[in-house]
Amino acid sequence: MSKILAVARWEYMEKVKSKIFLIGLLVTPLIMVGMGVLPTLFVSQQDERSKIIGVIDPSGRVAGPFAERMQNRYTLKNHQPNYVVIPLSSGTGTDVEEAVQDANARVAHDQIDGYVVLGPDGRDSIVEYRSKVIGDFAIAARIEENLKAVLAEQRVVSLGLDPSILQQLVVKLDVRMTKLSQKGEKEEAGFERVFLSAYVFLMMLFLLIVTSGQMLVRSVIEEKANRIVEVLVSSCSPTELMAGKVLGLSGLGLTQMGFWSLIGVAASLQFGMNLIDLSQALLLVVYFILGYLFYAAIFIAAGSPLNTEQEAQQITSYLVLLLILPIVLALPAMKDPGATWIKVLTFIPFLTPTMMALRIPIQMPALWEILLTVVIMLFSIWGGMVAAGRIFRIGILMTGKSPKIKEILRWIKNG
Amino acid sequence: MLSVQQLKKQFTTLIAVDGVSFDVPGGSIFGLIGPNGAGKTTTIRMILRILEPDSGTVTYDGAGFTEATRNNLGYLPEERGLYKKSRLIDTLLYLAELRGMARAKARSEATRWLQRLGLGDSLQRRTDELSKGNQQKVQFIGAVLHNPGIVILDEPFSGLDPVNQNVFKDILLELKQQGKAIIFSTHQMDQAERLSDSLCLINKGRAVLSGTVRDVKKRYGKNSLHIEFDGDGGILNTVTGVHNVLLYEHEAELELDAQVTPRDIIAQINPRLDLRKVELREPSLHSIFIQTVGAPDAGSAEKEGQA
Repeated sequence: MSKILAVARWEYMEKVKSKIFLIGLLVTPLIMVGMGVLPTLFVSQQDERSKIIGVIDPSGRVAGPFAERMQNRYTLKNHQPNYVVIPLSSGTGTDVEEAVQDANARVAHDQIDGYVVLGPDGRDSIVEYRSKVIGDFAIAARIEENLKAVLAEQRVVSLGLDPSILQQLVVKLDVRMTKLSQKGEKEEAGFERVFLSAYVFLMMLFLLIVTSGQMLVRSVIEEKANRIVEVLVSSCSPTELMAGKVLGLSGLGLTQMGFWSLIGVAASLQFGMNLIDLSQALLLVVYFILGYLFYAAIFIAAGSPLNTEQEAQQITSYLVLLLILPIVLALPAMKDPGATWIKVLTFIPFLTPTMMALRIPIQMPALWEILLTVVIMLFSIWGGMVAAGRIFRIGILMTGKSPKIKEILRWIKNG
Repeated sequence: MLSVQQLKKQFTTLIAVDGVSFDVPGGSIFGLIGPNGAGKTTTIRMILRILEPDSGTVTYDGAGFTEATRNNLGYLPEERGLYKKSRLIDTLLYLAELRGMARAKARSEATRWLQRLGLGDSLQRRTDELSKGNQQKVQFIGAVLHNPGIVILDEPFSGLDPVNQNVFKDILLELKQQGKAIIFSTHQMDQAERLSDSLCLINKGRAVLSGTVRDVKKRYGKNSLHIEFDGDGGILNTVTGVHNVLLYEHEAELELDAQVTPRDIIAQINPRLDLRKVELREPSLHSIFIQTVGAPDAGSAEKEGQA
């Protein structure tokens, strides 16, 4: 036991002092925040200058009121209007084709940002917005909203009614998503918050496993390369060596997690954001530890027969694919967390921790699911460690060519 | 006292060690010699229990291998290396702690050893800041720091300059004085000849010669003619009545056939070379080695210790 601790202490101290660890510790939260926050920031970014929008209106009745609405409703920070709408051609005599060609030329010369083509009679029809940039969702939504209003108003007038009646007719609705807890109580959780916390936990688990898995493999390969491994396994048993490494690197993982949690707590106190509640957090920690140990066994089994960094990187990238799968499933899982296939995937040991990290913030899984997955994980860790130990014992003394899978399976079988 | 009895180890197709036996009493130095791929390193790994022997036994002071045995072993592997980015003192503390030594004791011992080997001011330096020779010193310290009763050194002198070879030799003799059982493997026959109390020559997994250095030499008798000369030594290869010639620039060692007298040989070479010194004595270990196994690299070309 004292030798296991000696190995654990060594692995922990040497890694915790290394620059790679320090950089990973500090940079990872920045990357996560960046990936989570920056895109939304950019999307909701306001325009910096007024946009000039042309209108081709064969009916001749819509362009005027539409331009007025667009120009008056939206202003930039510098109090200039956000949109300047100019009628390109309007009236019944309009040759739409000619007008479109003319408008295309203007867009090409950057005289206008884009133009709207309305239907011939100004009634329900497809409206087109043509521009060099079509990723701007805000402008599309605003054009739609204001055109609808103008058309509705004109229709009300044509029916001989008072336009102000429209105010009373329009129903304003805003559907809010409210998450219910297990007991059916209301929880203050918006879509963004749930998505963000599921995403953050998944990424944290993923990065934690990958970085420490790589460290584990690298430390074994270094010891093989410099043959210190021979001194080590004549000093203690391979099992002790492996246990010490897993323990030391787990300590490292916990240090990382603790540090990140502190940042998280500080951030949520600062911004008044409550990402997750305590019972969820504790359960997640359980899955973190289980997942960590399970993948440690896999990394040892995969890494100990290897001899070069390149081979190690290859193996690591395969494992990364396995780990990243639940991230791809994040959106469908959020839409329907009760789906059978989501539940089934949760029971595959390779996916259990990440699937749970995904599911817990969205919708707490049933108690039996939690108990069963924990039991499955415990058995998987036990089996994984036994197999990894058998591979490790032989693998760490192998030099030269890496063994074939068939050979490794024989090591596991023969124990 | 370390006792090796009928050790055998077979890798898939190759029999690496085939029934090797020897004893190493405390307070003695044992030389394990043999060509590349002979099975020296595999034998050492079995003594250290890095490899399980297929059959045969190793006893340590009369007892089997236990946890306590591990702490009584010191080992310097043939291929050298240390943790590149780690500090010397940390590395040594780790290695000693793994052999069951308390950290405080290990710290004072490591400091003492580093000072003795001229690295007293390098405790906090990283391994990759040291020269190869100094790294080897640190590894050597790692093997003896915890005061083991059995010290196993695989090619301890390779890569060392003559000054450091001498330092290591003195330390080996000192460890012997302290009553430790020391095993070292080597290619350098002159080292083995001067340092070992007894030795074992392994070839193709078998112990082909063993015993004290004096016994081994006696077995070959006094039929080795050592000469010093001026002139073209090439003609010595054409001399008849000789079964082995070791030729150097101005020196040669000729192993005479039975019934051949030194006079017959001298009669052949005297007209063609200026002889400066002629002596009949026991063959050198080097000569015995070559007579026994052929050319030094004639053994299995396969690298030792690979499965």
